[in-house]
Amino acid sequence: MMEKNVLVIGGGIAGISAALELVECGIKVTLVEINPSIGGRMIQLDKTFPTLDCSTCTLSPKMVEVALNKNIELLTLAKPIFVEKKENRFTVKILKKARYVDEKKCTGCGNCFSGCPVYMKSEFNMGLGERKAVYIPFPQAIPNKATIDKRESRPCKANCIQACPINTNVPGYLRLIRDRKPKEAYILIRSTNPLPSTCARVCYAPCEDVCNRGDMDYPIAIRHLKRFAVDNFTIEDLPIPVIQKNEKKVAIIGAGPAGLACAHDLAVKGYNVTVFEAETEPGGMLRYAIPEYRLPKSELRREIQYIRKLGVEFKCNTKIGQDIGLPEIIRQFNAVFIAVGAQKPLKLNIEGEKLDGVLGGIDFLKMVHRGEKVEVGKRCVVIGGGNTAVDCARVALRLGAQDVKIVYRRSREEMPASEEEIDDLIEEGVKIEFLTSPKRFIGRNGKVSEIECVRMELGEPEKDGRRKPIEIVGSNFMMPVDTVIVAVGQIPDTSFIEGSELSTEDNGTLKVDNKTKMTSLPGVFAGGDVVTGPKFVVDAIAHGKKAAINIDRYLRGEELQTFEEEKITQKLTKDEILFLKEKFGRETKVRVPKLEAQDRKKNFFEVMKGYNEGEAILEAQRCLASKIEGCIECGECDKRCEVKAINHEMKDEIIEKDFDALIVATGFDIFDPSDKKEYGYGKYNNVITSIEFERLSSVTGPTGGDIVINGKIPKRFFFIQCVGSRDNQIGARFCSRVCCMYTAKHATIVKDRIKDSKVYVSYIDMRAYGKGYEEFYKSVQEEGVIYIRGIPGEVIEGRDGLIVRVEDILSGELREIEVDVVVLACGIRPKKEIFELSRITNLELDEYGFVKTESHSSSITSVQGIFVCGMAEGPKDIPDTVAQAGEAVASCLEYLL
Amino acid sequence: MEFTNTTKVFTCIQCGKCTGGCPESGRTPLNVRLIVRKNQFGAQVKNSHLWYCTSCGTCTVRCPRDVKPSEVIFDMRSTLVESGDISTSIQKALENTFLQKNPWGRARSKRAEWAEKSGVAIKHISDTLEKRLLLSCCVHAYDPRCHVIPVNISKLLTYSGIEFGILGEEECCCGNEIRRIGEKGLFEELREENISNFNRYDVREILTLSPHCMNTLKKEYNLPKLKVYHYTQLLWDMIREGVVKIGKDYKKRVAYHDPCFLGKQNGIFEEPRYILKSIEGLELLEFSRSRENSLCCEGGGGRMFYEVEVQYERNAKIRVEEAYELGVQTIVVSCPFCLMTLEEQAVEKGIEVKDISEILVEVLE
Repeated sequence: MMEKNVLVIGGGIAGISAALELVECGIKVTLVEINPSIGGRMIQLDKTFPTLDCSTCTLSPKMVEVALNKNIELLTLAKPIFVEKKENRFTVKILKKARYVDEKKCTGCGNCFSGCPVYMKSEFNMGLGERKAVYIPFPQAIPNKATIDKRESRPCKANCIQACPINTNVPGYLRLIRDRKPKEAYILIRSTNPLPSTCARVCYAPCEDVCNRGDMDYPIAIRHLKRFAVDNFTIEDLPIPVIQKNEKKVAIIGAGPAGLACAHDLAVKGYNVTVFEAETEPGGMLRYAIPEYRLPKSELRREIQYIRKLGVEFKCNTKIGQDIGLPEIIRQFNAVFIAVGAQKPLKLNIEGEKLDGVLGGIDFLKMVHRGEKVEVGKRCVVIGGGNTAVDCARVALRLGAQDVKIVYRRSREEMPASEEEIDDLIEEGVKIEFLTSPKRFIGRNGKVSEIECVRMELGEPEKDGRRKPIEIVGSNFMMPVDTVIVAVGQIPDTSFIEGSELSTEDNGTLKVDNKTKMTSLPGVFAGGDVVTGPKFVVDAIAHGKKAAINIDRYLRGEELQTFEEEKITQKLTKDEILFLKEKFGRETKVRVPKLEAQDRKKNFFEVMKGYNEGEAILEAQRCLASKIEGCIECGECDKRCEVKAINHEMKDEIIEKDFDALIVATGFDIFDPSDKKEYGYGKYNNVITSIEFERLSSVTGPTGGDIVINGKIPKRFFFIQCVGSRDNQIGARFCSRVCCMYTAKHATIVKDRIKDSKVYVSYIDMRAYGKGYEEFYKSVQEEGVIYIRGIPGEVIEGRDGLIVRVEDILSGELREIEVDVVVLACGIRPKKEIFELSRITNLELDEYGFVKTESHSSSITSVQGIFVCGMAEGPKDIPDTVAQAGEAVASCLEYLL
Repeated sequence: MEFTNTTKVFTCIQCGKCTGGCPESGRTPLNVRLIVRKNQFGAQVKNSHLWYCTSCGTCTVRCPRDVKPSEVIFDMRSTLVESGDISTSIQKALENTFLQKNPWGRARSKRAEWAEKSGVAIKHISDTLEKRLLLSCCVHAYDPRCHVIPVNISKLLTYSGIEFGILGEEECCCGNEIRRIGEKGLFEELREENISNFNRYDVREILTLSPHCMNTLKKEYNLPKLKVYHYTQLLWDMIREGVVKIGKDYKKRVAYHDPCFLGKQNGIFEEPRYILKSIEGLELLEFSRSRENSLCCEGGGGRMFYEVEVQYERNAKIRVEEAYELGVQTIVVSCPFCLMTLEEQAVEKGIEVKDISEILVEVLE
């Protein structure tokens, strides 16, 4: 006998039964299933009727058999799109949708979905529970492979991830905020950032500069949305991860952002970390330079406290090269990370800089933040245009200076301080003397009293692109002062390296291999401002994290990782902007709330205030990546997949194959009762459908099998039968056959699980045909379930639940019964996809859309060689479906042989 | 009475969905399902039971077997009307309608009295170009409380430059209620008179002010070429297209009551809500029973013209009580019957009942 091939369409109980019987008879089978897993509707059921066996326990062995049988080729996420019959062969084109996960590599471990930030309604749980955009629909799924639900491509380039030195998953956490999951957003932020609260306040947000939304209207307020996530999380509740400790010791010199980040990551990896800090408290510049009104110390302390809880030891008041030498540290520890920052203020090198009342910018800030008493007098002038200068000016104002000026030699455009900070400063009343430079400081009795200044003009651009300031000869003038703060930059203090093999660059920074962060001394790494000169907090964190990776590799004897610093960011094209503007319209940025100038300039209260939930959601939904359904290609799954199975580039494929016969087992849909407004489905959340009840009562369901609605165990149930069956109004005049009995099953499940429950079932005619069914009906009645002959007219809101208005026809009385839950026994509808299949196969359907069969054989269709079984042919229960699958196989064999 | 229906009563499966949804069942002796059942046998039905039906249509809209139970009731009433076995008040309403073309028997010559109050020049349909007929209900024509509705609509149309005309003294009852009382012969006469008027003046579209008139013109007149619509549809179009501009706010908590003949029977739910939502300051609340499930005000089916046998708590009262609990200040309606029935109950609760046109006129620029 020639080998025969049969295509079975649909992987529910009908298709599975047919496929398994066909292979028993030596036929090769291709089983196509439109969903990611086979199992169909039966796998969604809690119990089967009438034996009350566990549905999953009955079906899963068969599903496994399908997976293991070499003669069954299983194609999931697939459907036939073209069928041509030539002589006795069918040529079929099957569209196999891309899974975006390599089925051969995926082990079904689930790491990918634990990280995915995109929550979607679980189809398996009828929308009662959630799943991720990358998911396995249920634990017993066959194949047990993840699927990425990708529906459209992301409208933006997600530059934010690229631009962030620590590659924060910005679109991911914005989506979580949009979906009212700020805690999950925090956890996602935290997965790459050990100092989220700090960054949420003081990060310079390079992500916002490159945000594609900015190409359209305004960039997303990303930093502020991070703040929202942070505000909605209590770090004290953050659990300590399970850490596998090792014996290796790592010293970190400097407890600034680089040191803290490195300490955090190494502690999580199990190292014994000691941080040496010169000041009395850890935090570095975060603690001693950034003013309280930008970063409250209490917030910083909470973040550091968590790092302490990871087992990191801090040795404060221990200055390197003074209290302890570098060689000694190298001797005591297996590896060292130097992150001492850039602490030494640069000087102007002009006359009078040594006078009393002339302070270095960073020294001034440190004095203030150490709690020392600093007199600024009435008139305070800050020299410089960077963030430190702005901080100094605003602190001086808050210390009581009445007239605070900034003297800057270029114009506002060239000012390196952040726009926002400059705006705030001006709002608070600080004046900026642009294009002005100090010539000398003049003192009286050894104390500064005047500055001789000169006006500048801008010449040709210099190497850094900024125009060179040139003195205007003869424009000198005098400025009376009480205090001068010189904030023109800092350099690292690297005196501690003297006598070691370490060396510095010409600009005074410590020399390291930029790609690995290791110095010339093996095991000694360095990062942060000491290497880069003054940069931003998040740059320092990035260095700390990279150093942690390589310290770990170094200590495990692995090759060091090389880090490339290049950032690729893409702007939207003109056409893309036009298209997106058309599609989403203009959306203004949600205003960032802050204290008014008059309420903040005389105190150290935090200036920025957090978004409230409404504001945060409104702003987060502006993110272009938040606008799409399904996967946003944030790459989180990719990052977590250990076998590299994720492939976002995967394409749909069309498989062409010849078959000798087809068996249609496409199953059914369930009537959507939303249009039966009288029952309030969709309006009242305690009106549910029967299949939702199945999921609710199932141990694999969203509540683990507890029948809980709106957080409560309902006591009073009303089951309404014939919803969407026997109903001319919706063009379904047929009886769905299964509802009377599955409702009896539901009633008995309620009675079994909720002992003091009251259960009503309304019916038009009870249909309990055949063996065991009538008996089941009787036993349900014996349990005290009240059957009412009569279909409710409507379900309305009552004082304490829902009121079902129903005429008890047997007594002729209208009853208004108050209940906690109404379950609609929804009828059977033809599968939506059957109409397309009928079109491509010429299969005749009946008036409803069920496959038409010959009157003498319920599996023989209008097309020779195509057979049907299960609900595709018409409503029937599971035993009948299995029997019909057998019949279809028998008819098919008869046809083939 | 005894009655045998020839058509669909035999296909009734006695599911009781009609009784379960009927606004009169439970509190009055009306049991729709039982009436249909008795019809299957040709058994006796107590006459008085038939007169509780408000013709809200819920049973007919929802019946899974298309039995049209409300039509069964109208048929049975018709037998009673033929045999004269009806109350004097119904008798009187029918006679009035026969004579004066309105159920109250008011002089036909005063039909367009409201037009004098309007302050705008209102043309007879024959003097118009666009042949857009504004058709008022007998209630609008004769009840002083309801005069304001055609007045408002006329003003809105005139100010917006939308041409329309009226029939004046020639206007006659549409017969929607008459048909539901069971006087089929009279309904036919009214229908013919109306159609001959429409034809004579070459009417192209009819702007109805009552959902009841709209219903019968649309569904029972067989005028496929004539465009028939409710004024809320036109008003919403005018607002949407900027023909009328809302310039003032209306700072009140408002609930819209869906009339049965506009809502559940003709599917117009959105336009009145769109109008209300476009008014600044207006807070639109929803009754728990709204849209398809709106609670009938009991003004239809002839119930405006007679009193039923048994006294019971009226739906209008239940409605007003819910409004009170919701904190509603104004119940808005778009049907004159609803206006009359609800207002009667609302006054003592300090809640105002307004036609949607009354609010609109207040907030115009």
